[in-house]
Amino acid sequence: MSKYAGKKAVIQGGTHGMGLGVAKALLAEGAEVVLTGRNEANIEAARAELAGEAAHVVRSDAANLDDVRALGGVVEEKLGRIDFLFINVGIAELVPFDQVTEEGYDRIFDINTKGAFFTVQRLAPLINKGGAVLFTTSIADNMGYPGITVYGGAKAALRTFAKGFAAELMPHGIRVNALSPGPIKTPSMGYPAMSDADKDVHEKEMNEISPMKRHGTIEEIAAAALFLAFEATFTTGTEVVVDGGLAQGIIPAAA
Amino acid sequence: MSKFAGKKAVVTGGTHGMGLAIVKALLDGGAEVLYTGRNEKKIEEARTELKSDKAHVVRSDAASMADIRGLADTAQEKLGRVDYLFVNHGIAEVQTLEETTEESWDRHFAINTKGAFFTVQSLSPLLNDNGAIVFTTVANDLIFPGLSAYSGSKEAVRAISHVLAAELLPRKIRVNSVAPGYIKTPTMGVAGMTEEERRDFEKQGADTSPLKRMGTVEEVAAAALFLAADATFTTNVEFPVDGGFAQGLTGAH
Repeated sequence: MSKYAGKKAVIQGGTHGMGLGVAKALLAEGAEVVLTGRNEANIEAARAELAGEAAHVVRSDAANLDDVRALGGVVEEKLGRIDFLFINVGIAELVPFDQVTEEGYDRIFDINTKGAFFTVQRLAPLINKGGAVLFTTSIADNMGYPGITVYGGAKAALRTFAKGFAAELMPHGIRVNALSPGPIKTPSMGYPAMSDADKDVHEKEMNEISPMKRHGTIEEIAAAALFLAFEATFTTGTEVVVDGGLAQGIIPAAA
Repeated sequence: MSKFAGKKAVVTGGTHGMGLAIVKALLDGGAEVLYTGRNEKKIEEARTELKSDKAHVVRSDAASMADIRGLADTAQEKLGRVDYLFVNHGIAEVQTLEETTEESWDRHFAINTKGAFFTVQSLSPLLNDNGAIVFTTVANDLIFPGLSAYSGSKEAVRAISHVLAAELLPRKIRVNSVAPGYIKTPTMGVAGMTEEERRDFEKQGADTSPLKRMGTVEEVAAAALFLAADATFTTNVEFPVDGGFAQGLTGAH
């Protein structure tokens, strides 16, 4: 299969979960990919899994602007110019607002928001005309769910960045959109610090309140991401939701 | 391509423009398609162009309840069950507040809104679990003088689609909408324009879309098929195919 033969992509936050899923979908269709991660174990696991593929796994901390600048150099060296930039990096922590510390607040905004902005600033000059940028936002940017107020705020900023960049990169023929996942079945479930037992509880709780009564799959995210990246050529500045209807105001019909 | 091999679809308003592009994309992917039109000339043109034993065209007026029921009978006979229903038919007439007649108002709501709802009601029993409905709405944040009846009738469809998404959830049928902006079609979606008006409209579309061009019917079809077949964890959303028009983007200085 070679649907993306000759295409080059950067995935920030690509060593596990949704980012890795998109990386694999790109590689399977012939693209070359630089993907970043911060956690050494995840980086090693991704390197092992993608060995022999046209993939370059780079350690890069989105909260560190030196790393972001260095990533620009690595991308120039490995790929030259790129067709798709997927800003998928992100962390979430479930913390009630009265227990949020300044450090916790800054960590969420530094990684999810500031890192995303400066990564696009650094890499935008490398994106080909006709290329695309995609941000992973979250249904939390438009919902009230206890414990993720800071995360929701950081992701809402990202939603706005997608519009701003869409306008600013329009003259360069680059489309910018956002992909807003609901609950997706990933190894971390979006909460790297959560215990496995808590993840199970969280998963059941989310299935319970979700209209489709299940989590989404990484493949479902990858399908939407690649559609927005390569096929939605008359769509820019929008957010596509992959949430099983969770944030769509649906009250399920009575059984 | 056999992405849609074994799949069956109904496309209303499928004889020209965006609907025809959806029909072609489905056929290309191996689906069997029943599509409707009202204008005999366009029906013949589409039949001639498609020449596929997997394409069935039926004359059906979305403003006629008898035709809608007949469509369901034809769908049952030709397809049996249906996986994807594209409710794409619609009319638009430019009339200002002063010019709008009751007849024009009623025509818009009869075809675009009432016809859309009862098409779903009639075909719903044939829809497979895990199937999908895709409405063609419009990038309605794009405000156009002279399209009150049209915009109202399409906004009503959007509202109806929300409720249907909830009602059809137990059958795992997803309900979404594709919202086109300026798309280059033979009629530009607006009936009764002179050749000169149509050219002006096209130029206006290309000038005012942030992407500085009109969209293609193929781009609309791609989004419609994505929603129908690939967006399996997405329901009750509207997917804009509008070149950024209705996304609140202002061109760079």
